[in-house]
Amino acid sequence: MSLKPRQVDFNAVWGSLQETVKSVITLGHVPRQIWSDRFSDVYSLCVAHPESMADRLYAETKQYLIDHVALLLIKVQEDGEDNLIKNYYHYWSQYSRGLFYLHLLYWYLNQQHIRMQKPSDAEMIYGSSDANAGEQLEIKELALEVWKNGMITPLGEKLVKLLLETIDKDRSEHTTLIPIEAIQGTITSFVEVQRFKIKGKLKLYQDLFEEPFLDASGEHFKRDAARLLEERDVSLYMEKVITKVDEELARARKFLHASSLTKVSQRCEQHMVAEHLDFLYSECMNMVQGERKRDLSNMYSLLKSLPNALNILVDTVLDHSKCQGLESIGTLQGDNIHVNFVENLLEVYQKYRQQIQEVFSGDQNFMGALDKACSSVINHRPNKGKTPCRSPELLAKYCDTLLKKSSKGISEAEVDEKLRKSITIFKYIDDKDVFQKFYARMLAKRLIHQQTQSMDAEEAMINRLKQACGYEFTSKLHRMFTDMSVSADLNNKFNAFLKDDSIDLGVNFCIYILQAGAWPFGQAIVTPFSLPQQLVKSVQMFETFYYNRFNGRKLTWLHHLCQAELRLGYLKKPYVVTVQTFQMAILLLFETADSLVCKEIRETLLLNADQFQRHAISLVDSKLLLCDSEELTPEAVLRLNMEYTNKRTRFRITAAIQRESPQEVEHTINSVEEDRKLYLQAAIVRIMKSRKVLKHNALIQEVCAQSKVSFAPSIPMIKKCIEALIDRHYMERTQHSSEEYSYIA
Amino acid sequence: MPYQQMDDKSDVDSQKPEKMFTLKKWNAVAMWSWDVECDTCAICRVQVMDACLRCQAESKTDNYGKQECVVVWGECNHSFHYCCMSLWVKQNNRCPLCQQEWSIQRMGK
Repeated sequence: MSLKPRQVDFNAVWGSLQETVKSVITLGHVPRQIWSDRFSDVYSLCVAHPESMADRLYAETKQYLIDHVALLLIKVQEDGEDNLIKNYYHYWSQYSRGLFYLHLLYWYLNQQHIRMQKPSDAEMIYGSSDANAGEQLEIKELALEVWKNGMITPLGEKLVKLLLETIDKDRSEHTTLIPIEAIQGTITSFVEVQRFKIKGKLKLYQDLFEEPFLDASGEHFKRDAARLLEERDVSLYMEKVITKVDEELARARKFLHASSLTKVSQRCEQHMVAEHLDFLYSECMNMVQGERKRDLSNMYSLLKSLPNALNILVDTVLDHSKCQGLESIGTLQGDNIHVNFVENLLEVYQKYRQQIQEVFSGDQNFMGALDKACSSVINHRPNKGKTPCRSPELLAKYCDTLLKKSSKGISEAEVDEKLRKSITIFKYIDDKDVFQKFYARMLAKRLIHQQTQSMDAEEAMINRLKQACGYEFTSKLHRMFTDMSVSADLNNKFNAFLKDDSIDLGVNFCIYILQAGAWPFGQAIVTPFSLPQQLVKSVQMFETFYYNRFNGRKLTWLHHLCQAELRLGYLKKPYVVTVQTFQMAILLLFETADSLVCKEIRETLLLNADQFQRHAISLVDSKLLLCDSEELTPEAVLRLNMEYTNKRTRFRITAAIQRESPQEVEHTINSVEEDRKLYLQAAIVRIMKSRKVLKHNALIQEVCAQSKVSFAPSIPMIKKCIEALIDRHYMERTQHSSEEYSYIA
Repeated sequence: MPYQQMDDKSDVDSQKPEKMFTLKKWNAVAMWSWDVECDTCAICRVQVMDACLRCQAESKTDNYGKQECVVVWGECNHSFHYCCMSLWVKQNNRCPLCQQEWSIQRMGK
């Protein structure tokens, strides 16, 4: 067969082509040879000489399809309403498959004739849709368009009515008379006929079917809700609604287009949940307090997708966990108050955290509520805010107890675990700087009195604090740590120095050199003291050694922190006692005297009254010294107890040095204030340096944001710091406004 | 009379008369600070043992014990943070306290 254009008799060719079209569209049998011939016929009509007959072919084909669909419309309705959907689906599946073969048969027409005159995609999308009205469609699109106009337009409403009735029956009786695939196929046909559209593919489906369906479903949900509400049982209601939503989703999956699923569940939630929120909330409190996990979890899954509906539940959980938290620490008493405080709080925290994971799938709203609850419990000030919050102190003490040598019967791994958990509490503390003060004091004591259980554990804890609060927060703690290792090194060098010069100090000497400022001991603590002769050489030699190595430094001996080991040779057994330096000095005086008057001792050693009292009493209490009167008056006489016995040959007179006195606690709290000022000033300088010029309010805001990691500053305090910095020419008020500052380099 | 032996090789009972108290060991604690007359830097009004305010603001206070913000003494014996003083002398090469020509006597180490 020639491909050359030639004259063609349209009627003759169309006559035979029409026969084949009929077979194709009804899925009849078409022999291969016929198919090929008709395929060429389409070609020859399109390229016919002297003039293409493509337009005529298109018009005839369109008319044929219109007639065919009109015929099918009659057939579909033939068996009455009961069979309407079944018949519609039957002919639709035939037609929709047939039209694809037809499309292939008209391949040349589609490719060469129609596609050529098609506007570009851009024009389709942005051009007005009217322009397309007279335009020719590809055959498959044409066929679908004909179906839509010839079948769906006249029959649509009736079909939809029947579909809705069928679905309603499925809801009430869980069966349908019509096969599921017929229902589903009919519904999908509303989508299918528009599948080649670029815009509004789902429009027909949505307008014709989805909207009436949703409205009808809505009415159904309302009726259902009203029926369930009569039982007045929130738990039961929630269970039923959840089942209902699941059922509806399953039904939607079975019959509907995927785009409708969320709409169905939304409708369902709106009518069954959102419209009855008050009813649900009425049980909220009881559920939270009774910790009814299943109910809470149901409530959560019903409310989570509704905007703001969770708030009341979240608030209830917040209040409840806050009450539980306060209750757990409300009545603490005794020596172990710090341990109970931390561990009770952690228990409450863990419990609610786990509950939130379990019941509310770790929802951020609830986590936030738990955070808020913890924060207000931990920073709670009893007596309507008049009593200061003790949490920082108690937590520091808890850490101290764990890190100290004495914690018996608890493994290193357990200690580590407990410390790790304590960080949870730490993070909620507002006054972290107060915690740091207490922690630093206790750390200092542990380090100097060698009570540290493990340096690794100490360091791990400091690193955790650093992680939570940043480098600045722990820099002093780090410096204390560093001083320890620097001191070890100095001791070695000093011993080498002694050996080189063959010097004997007469005592086993070892020293910690602390950097002033890094350690929580003020200079004020240094009190006068006349050093016993036995120690003078050590002090002199060490100072010589130290001043040779360092330039511009001076040493202050912190005798109240020094310790000595004394061997007592005057008793039945030899004892070795560890005492504080002042205690040692008092004891040493008895080398040459059997009894001494208090006043005398004090004058010899130059001790102040307070120090003397504290240390002399501890010696009397331990029975190493005997006193002739009840009180240590200046005239009281002290004697050495020559009958002293102790079960152990090594022991320690500890009492006076290690007890945290109430004054010390107060001192700690007061020193926080000073540090806060310095911290704020540094923050202000830092901010002003980077911003150069800043309004008052903006500066305050930034300072608050920066200091949040360590404490919540008061506005008057920030203002005072700004004034102080202006006085010292770090910054100034700008000329045009007193509400604006600029940095002075 | 200084006590001579550190290790007590001869034990207690054998040696009489023995001293009543024998000092075996002394764990001393001392604190070092810059040897200054005034412990506040007159330029930044911060204690010389702490880093100056600008250094604190930049959080470069120290690097594991190594102080970067050291103290400097002038011939007049007045002392300041080295950082503060080096900024000061750019404007005025006199000691802020006594107005003497500034020259460095020693640096802290």
